[in-house]
Amino acid sequence: MSSSTKVSALDMPDVPMGQLPEHLHLQRTRVVCKADAPIHTEGIQYSGAYASIGVDNSMGPNKFCKSFKTVVVRLTADEIEFDMVGIDASLANAFRRILIAEVPTMAIEKVLVVNNTSVIADEVLAHRLGLVPLNADPRLFEYLSENDTPNERNTIVYKLDVSCKKGGSRVTVKSNQLKWLPNGSELQMTTYDSSAKAKSYTSFSCSQDSLPEFSKKPLGVSFPLELLSDIQNLLLIIYHCHKSYNYEQAIELEAHAVKGMGKVHAKWSPVATAWYRMLPEVVLLKEVKGDDAEKLVKKCPVGVFDIEELGNGDKKAAVVNSRACTLCRECIRGVNEELVELRRAKDHFIFTIESTGAFSPEELFIKAVTILEEKCDRVISELS
Amino acid sequence: MNAPDRYERFVVPEGTKKVSYERDTKIVNAASFTVEREDHTIGNILRMQLHRDPNVLFAGYKLPHPLQYKIIVRIQTTSQSSPTQAYNQAIDDLDKELDYLKKGFEDDKNRYEEKLRQGY
Repeated sequence: MSSSTKVSALDMPDVPMGQLPEHLHLQRTRVVCKADAPIHTEGIQYSGAYASIGVDNSMGPNKFCKSFKTVVVRLTADEIEFDMVGIDASLANAFRRILIAEVPTMAIEKVLVVNNTSVIADEVLAHRLGLVPLNADPRLFEYLSENDTPNERNTIVYKLDVSCKKGGSRVTVKSNQLKWLPNGSELQMTTYDSSAKAKSYTSFSCSQDSLPEFSKKPLGVSFPLELLSDIQNLLLIIYHCHKSYNYEQAIELEAHAVKGMGKVHAKWSPVATAWYRMLPEVVLLKEVKGDDAEKLVKKCPVGVFDIEELGNGDKKAAVVNSRACTLCRECIRGVNEELVELRRAKDHFIFTIESTGAFSPEELFIKAVTILEEKCDRVISELS
Repeated sequence: MNAPDRYERFVVPEGTKKVSYERDTKIVNAASFTVEREDHTIGNILRMQLHRDPNVLFAGYKLPHPLQYKIIVRIQTTSQSSPTQAYNQAIDDLDKELDYLKKGFEDDKNRYEEKLRQGY
């Protein structure tokens, strides 16, 4: 037995003190997506997780501020795609949940139907009207509770008045035919006391378009959508006056919109949808050359791989666009040996937010962060 | 038929406190916080932040029933700290991080819009 000075396994030159060895770093920061299921999905937050190796896993607010980064990739009027690096999955999910359910918007809640001789039932029409996205800034409005009277500060009134003559051509009703009534409701509530002044359903003390905020941008609907249709995805209110019907069809109604949250009903959700995904990382475990390289490049439907020419007519496969990977797993399906490893970065999230028009998408995200901050403040315990 | 009204998810009724605290009788330095009208949005974040605290030995949250809108957060700490202290510290840290996050996002958005305006 040769006598040698004892060296700690942790001091070996390829495992420097203070840093995790390769495989543990992979386990801590990446989710590896195998053919059947992903592994290493749990987040290791405990600051003493690697205490036995001498590595500090703590993350206080200062460390967070140093490692946090955000990059906006694309910003249009309706959509934003941005990256956030350095946050945990629970925070990303909280933002997604708040964007979908807790940012308030305006949507039609009460529909007063004066006349509906169409083929669509009242309640079906009212339901569809509720889902129409409105182009109104909810910050200018207050919530309307059951005991409040509807006034110009908490209600928006729209009117729909369409008809189709008997034997006339087919009329398509789109949501931009909802007219905004800045003066409030035009319908009058029936009272049994004939001497009392006729009251309308809303008591607007002044016309909404006299208020400066509204005169800048008249309150309309976001997109001229068709409200009901047999064509998929288009919303069209009604097909008026099909030739076989021998009578005049008309719709006359008034719709009142109020402020609400997606939590109460999905019509108040300000996003078409909001989602996030983790940054993909595609790694070639072995060198893939020649025909195998061609096959691999063809397998991927989104173009993650590409051929790299190596001088003497030889070809090699290389990863060029791992961000596009959708985890279809075609490159690892049915192969006998593992050529590719599909990984996801646990702390790098690619967010996409599609707005329905009330807010711009970047405002939506900032509003979501503000709402989360308010939630945290409400949850503080008053005990010392 | 038995489902409660949807606004019950976030409106705290009169008389109930938002956060209530119950010390665990059998284990030292352990407590349960019941937060009314909250769900996974805040529960998961709180749990994650508590795990980062080196003084916390145990931290977990649960929703006892999906139709009862409250979460129960259970914390056990070492004798260096107390559950209330750990809880409040976690919320404070979260506040700081969210503030920084918001500023970072606004800065980056302004930078992006500048770049667009300059036509890159």
